[in-house]
Amino acid sequence: MSPVPPQTARKRLIADRAARWVVSAGGLAIIVSILGILVFILAEVWPLMAKARVRAVREIPLPGPPAGALVSDEHRTHVAALAADGHVRIVRLRDGKPVADLDLGTGPLTGMKLPAGRPVLTGATRDGRVVLAPVSFEVTFEGQSQVVTPAVKDPILLELDPQARPLGAFAAQVDEEGSATAAAQLADGSLAVVRRSSQENPMTGEVTESVQRFEAHVPGRLTSLVLDAAQTALYGGTARGEILWWPLAEGQPGPVRAASAGPSAITALDLLIGGRSLVVGQENGALSIWLQIREHEDEEVFRLTRVRDFPRLKQAVRQIAPSERGKGFLALGDDGRLGLYYSTSHRTLWTGDAPVRQGTGLFYTPKTDGVYLAGEGRLAELDVFNPHPEVTWSTLFGKVWYEGYAEPAWVWQSSSGSDDFEPKLSLTPLLVGTLKGTFYSLLLAIPFGVLGAMYTSQFMHPSYKRVLKPMVEIMASLPSVVLGFLAGLWLAPRIEKAMPALALMPVILPILILIAGFLWNRVIPRAVRGRFRAGTEAVLFVFVLAFGMWLCFRLSGPFENLAFGGSFQTWLGEATGLAYDQRNAVVVGLAMGFAVIPIIFAIAEDAFSNVPPNLVAGSLALGADRWQTVTRVVLPTASPGIFSAVMIGFGRAVGETMIVLMATGNTPILDWNPFNGFRTLSANIAVEIPEAPHGSTLYRTLFLAGLLLFVVTFLINTIAELVRQRLRERYSQL
Amino acid sequence: MKRAQRSDLFGQAMTWLCGGALAFNLLLVIGIMGLLAWYGLGYFWQKDLVQLRMKDGTRVLGEVWEIEQVVESPGQPALDRMRLKIANRDVGGLDFAWINAVDVASRSLPADAVLLERLEWGNFHGTMEELRDGDKVLARGPGPVWKALHELHAKKAKQREQVEDLEKGEIGDVNYAIEKLRLDRRALDFEELPAAEKARRGAALDRELAEREAAYQQLADRLFQLREKLDQGTLVMRSVDGQTKEMPVAMVVRAIRPNAMNAFEKTGLYLSRGWEFIAADPRESNTEGGIFPAIFGTVMMVFIMSFAVAPLGVLAALYLREYARQGLLVRMVRIAVNNLAGVPSIVFGMFGLGFFVYLIGGSIDRLFYPESLPTPTFGTGGILWASLTLALLTVPVVIVAAEEGLAAVPRIVREGSLALGATKFETIWRVVIPAAAPGILTGMILAMARAAGEVAPLMIVGMVKLAPSLPIDGRAPFVHFERKFMHLGFHIFDVGFQSPNVEATTPLVFATALLLIVVVTVMNIVAILLRNHLRRKYAGSAV
Repeated sequence: MSPVPPQTARKRLIADRAARWVVSAGGLAIIVSILGILVFILAEVWPLMAKARVRAVREIPLPGPPAGALVSDEHRTHVAALAADGHVRIVRLRDGKPVADLDLGTGPLTGMKLPAGRPVLTGATRDGRVVLAPVSFEVTFEGQSQVVTPAVKDPILLELDPQARPLGAFAAQVDEEGSATAAAQLADGSLAVVRRSSQENPMTGEVTESVQRFEAHVPGRLTSLVLDAAQTALYGGTARGEILWWPLAEGQPGPVRAASAGPSAITALDLLIGGRSLVVGQENGALSIWLQIREHEDEEVFRLTRVRDFPRLKQAVRQIAPSERGKGFLALGDDGRLGLYYSTSHRTLWTGDAPVRQGTGLFYTPKTDGVYLAGEGRLAELDVFNPHPEVTWSTLFGKVWYEGYAEPAWVWQSSSGSDDFEPKLSLTPLLVGTLKGTFYSLLLAIPFGVLGAMYTSQFMHPSYKRVLKPMVEIMASLPSVVLGFLAGLWLAPRIEKAMPALALMPVILPILILIAGFLWNRVIPRAVRGRFRAGTEAVLFVFVLAFGMWLCFRLSGPFENLAFGGSFQTWLGEATGLAYDQRNAVVVGLAMGFAVIPIIFAIAEDAFSNVPPNLVAGSLALGADRWQTVTRVVLPTASPGIFSAVMIGFGRAVGETMIVLMATGNTPILDWNPFNGFRTLSANIAVEIPEAPHGSTLYRTLFLAGLLLFVVTFLINTIAELVRQRLRERYSQL
Repeated sequence: MKRAQRSDLFGQAMTWLCGGALAFNLLLVIGIMGLLAWYGLGYFWQKDLVQLRMKDGTRVLGEVWEIEQVVESPGQPALDRMRLKIANRDVGGLDFAWINAVDVASRSLPADAVLLERLEWGNFHGTMEELRDGDKVLARGPGPVWKALHELHAKKAKQREQVEDLEKGEIGDVNYAIEKLRLDRRALDFEELPAAEKARRGAALDRELAEREAAYQQLADRLFQLREKLDQGTLVMRSVDGQTKEMPVAMVVRAIRPNAMNAFEKTGLYLSRGWEFIAADPRESNTEGGIFPAIFGTVMMVFIMSFAVAPLGVLAALYLREYARQGLLVRMVRIAVNNLAGVPSIVFGMFGLGFFVYLIGGSIDRLFYPESLPTPTFGTGGILWASLTLALLTVPVVIVAAEEGLAAVPRIVREGSLALGATKFETIWRVVIPAAAPGILTGMILAMARAAGEVAPLMIVGMVKLAPSLPIDGRAPFVHFERKFMHLGFHIFDVGFQSPNVEATTPLVFATALLLIVVVTVMNIVAILLRNHLRRKYAGSAV
C-alpha cells in the first residue's frame, strides 16, 4: 500500500500562517509598547536639557536719534522707544510702520532706561528733571482676533536738581497707584531722591499728591543707579567698582552701605524680578549676581554678597535687561556680544553676536520669548526659545544659593503664590527622603524577612509551608493605601504616646522568645513535644510575642518615667536637639517594612529551599548540627538569592507611594533624624504632578524624578533577576 | 563535649530567634487583619448611650469610644480618661469630648435617650420633646413623640425619595439635554457651513433649548413645591444640657433608642447599617452614609482594565512562549517584562497622565470635542484612562502568569495534537490555551486584585473625592468613559487624610479598608487556589 501523501487543507495552513503573523506582530507590538513607556518618559524629560535657541528674525528702521529704552507688549505687536531727543516712538512690528511719535516735552535727554518689571520709559533731562512715561498696551477683541492698542499715558516729571543742571546717573520707578520715586547724582556729586506719593481717598476718589525731596552724600562718581520695584532700595555702582546701597523709607535714603566688586568700574546694574538679586556688569567684562544676605539670623541687617559669577564678557558690559518671568537676564557687551543668562541655575544659555553692533537699548520681552535691540537707526527683533532655563544637573542635585538664603542649600520648593518666586527644584532632599524611608523599612524587613524565611525552609516541617506561603502572598497583596492609613491614623498617634515601648521591644521580645523556646525544649517532655511537627513552636511564639508587646506597652509609662524623665519627646528635644513629628520615619519604617517583608520572605525562602539537599545531607553526615549546617552551608550557598531578595525589597520600598504619602508629613526637609517626616520622590510626584502645568519645567522635573525611579528600580530588579538565574544554574550543577 | 553542648544550645537559641522572626511576621498579618476587622465591623454596632452626671453638676450623653490611661504629671498614678462621642455638632460644635473618670459623679443608661442619624450635622443625642406638623402639635413628651414619629417619618422618607427621584431623574435628564444642546450650539460655530444653513440650524437649536429650559423651569417649580411639603413636620429635641433644637423630620435618617434595644434589635440595626454602607450614596462630603459609588467605580475600572489587559497579556505571552525563537533576546525581553512589574506604580500613573490624558486625550478633544474646549472632555483624568493605565501596570503580571500556564502544558499533549495532523495554531487554540486557561485566569485575578488596591497612579489619572454621577447611567451613550469616578482606595486616602473631621470619620475609613482588604484577599486566595490546582494537575506530567 502506498502511503497517503500527507496533505493539509490550504485553508488551515493559511489560518496557521495568519495566526503566526498576528501573534508575532501583536506580541512584539505589545512588548515594544510596554518598553515604550521608558521612551515616552525620556521624551518628556529631554527638553529640560535642550539648549536655548536665539534667532534674529527681522530688522526694521527706527527713525530719530538712538533709542535708550524700549518696551513691548507680551504679544509682541508694538515696541515703544524713548530716544535721546525726548520723543517716544511706537512702531508696529508686523509691518515696521511707526504708529506714533510723541514729544514728552522735556528737551534732549542725558540718559534713558526702563525700570525693572514696569512698562515705564524713564529719562533724565539736561535741566535736572526726570521724566517717567508709562506705556500701556490695551488688548481688545474683535471677533476671534485680538487687537493691541499702545498708548503713552501722561508723563510724570520730577525735579531733582532745583538748579537745573544736567543729571548724572539716574533711576526712576513708579507703581500702579502712581507713586513715583526718582534718584540721580547731581552735578555737584550729591545724590538727590525725589518721591511723589499719590494717595487716593477711597471715599471721594480724590487723589492727593505730595512730593518730597531728599539728598544724600555719595562717595565718588556714580556710573549707574537702580531702584527696586517696591521703591524701598536704591543701588548704585561707582567708577571704582563699588556697589552702594541705600534703604529707602518713603523716599528717604537711610545710611549707605557699600561692597566692592573689584577695581573695575561698574558699567551696568539691574535687579532681577523680585528685586532681591542684583546683576552687576563691569568695565572689564565681569558679570556677577549679588544677593542681600542676612548677617545674623535674627537681625534685619543685610549684607550684599557676591554669590555667583558668569563667564566674563570680552569687553565692558553695556546693557542688562532682566526678564519678567524667572531669574533670567540679557547682557550686551561693548563689542556687540549678546548673552542670555539665568541666575538660579547659573547657566549661560546662549551667547552670540547681536545683529546691531552699537546697541543703545535692550529689552527682554515679557514672555521671555524675544529680544528687542535698538541702535544704529534700527530695531532688531530676536526670537528666543528657551522653555526650561531654571534647570541644570547642578541645580537638580547640587547646592544652590537661592535668594533669601544665608548660604547655598538643597531645597525643594516648587511653587508659591507670588510671581517673582524663585522655584527651588533640588531633587536631593527628595532622594535623601527616599533613601531614609527605604533605610528604615529595610532595617525592619531584612532581618524579619530573611530569618523568617530561613526558619520556614530549614527548621519547619514542609507541610507548614503550604499554609505559610499563601499567607505571605496575601500579605504582599495588601493594598498599600490600607497600610498607609493604618500607619498614619492608627499607629502614629499610638507610637507617639508609647515610643519607649518601641524601644523596649528589641530587648524584651527576644528574651521572652528565648525563655519560651527553653521551656518548650527543656521542660515539656519529649513525648508531648514529639507529637507536634517541627516548627510548631512558632505558633507558641506568636502568643508569646503578643504577650510581650502588651507587656512592653504596659511598661512604657514606667520606663518613660525612669529613662526619659517622664516624656520621651521632651527628653529627645533636650538631649539631642531632635524634633519629634507624629508621622515620622519610624512609623513609615514599620508600615513599609511590613509591605517589604513578604517580598523578601518569598524570594529568600525560594533561595533557601532550593539549596540542593545533598549539600545539607553531606554536612549533617559529617557531624554538623542543624544550626551549623544552616549557617555554614545553606546560608553561604543561598546568599546570592538573599541578595536578590533584598534588592527587590529595596526596589519596592524606593517606589512605594501611598504609605509614605500618608504616614509622613511630606515635608521635603533634608535630615536623617528618624523622628522627622520627609518626602520621597514618589510621594512628591503624587503631590505635585496634578498641579504642574503640562510641559512646564516642574512637570518635566517630576518626570525626571519618575525616570530616576524607573531606571533605579528597573536596574535593581534586573540585577536581582540575573543573580537569581545564575544561582539557579549553579544549584542545578551542584 | 562541653563545647559541643554549648554550641548546641547556642544553635538552638538562634533557631528560636529565627522562629521568633517568623512568628513576628505572622503576628503582624494576624494583627492587621484583626485590627481592621475589629474596627471595621465594630463601626456598625450600636453602643449604649451613656449619661454621665459630672461632679460640677453638668451632664453629658454619649457613646464611650475609648478609655485610655493618662499620667498627668510624672510620679502620679494613671487616671482613666474616656473619649465620648457626644454628637450634636450643631449645638456644641464638637463631636467628641474627653472626660476624666474622676470627675464623673454617676452614670446611667436612660431608656428614652434617642440617637438620631441625620442628613446634615451628623448625629444628635438627646430626648424627644415635641412633634409638630406645621403649627399643629402632634405629640409632646418623649414617649408619645417616639410613637408618633414613626408614621410621620415613614411618610417623609417617601417624600424624600420622590424629591431625589425628581432631582436625579427628570431634572437630571433635562440638565443633561440642555448641556448637550449648548455644546451643539457652540459646535455649530466651528462647522464650515453656508451662513443661511448655519442660521437655520442655530435657530432650531435655540428653539429646542428654550423648550427645554421651560421644561426645566416647570420641573424646578415642582421640585420647590415638593421640597416645601417635605420640610413640613418639625421634631423638637432636647439635648442633655437642656438646649432644645428644632429640625425637620425629613432630615432624620434613622431614630433609635439604643438603651432600650435588645441584642436582637441591635443585630437588625447592624445589618441594616451594613447594607446602607454598601448600597447608599455618601453624605456630608463622604464622611457619612455609604460608599456605593466608590464600590461601583472600583468594579467598573477593574472590569474595563480586564478587557484591555486580557488580550494584551495573553497575546504577548503566546508570542514569547510559543512563537518567538528562544534565545538571548527573548530571555532579556522576558526579564524586562518581569521587572516592569517592579517599577513603582506612580511612574505608570505619571506615564498615564502624560501619554493617555495629555497626548491622546488632548488630541481627541481637539478633533472631536472642540466645542467644549477649553474645558477638557477626554483631556483630563477619567475612568478610561485610569483603566488603561492600570492595564499597563498589570500586564506584566498577566504575561508572567500566562507564560507559566503555557509552559506547564506538557509537551506530550502538544506533540499528540501535532501528530494527529493539527497545525500549530490549531494546537495552541484547541489544546494549549484550554489547558493553560487556569494559569491565565490566575494571572487575570492577580492583576485585578492588584488593580483594585492600587491608588497612587489613579490619583493622577482620574479619581475624585466625590463624583457627581456614575460612569454608567441611563443617558446616551450610557457608558461615559470620560467621567471621573470614585474608588475605594482613594476614598480611604481622601476621607482619612483630607476630611475636616478626621476623628469622626476614622471608623468609616476602617470599614472601607476592611471591605477593600476582603475583596483583594478573596481574589488572591481564589488565584492561589487555582494556581495550586493547576500545579498539582500537571505536577506529574511536566516536561
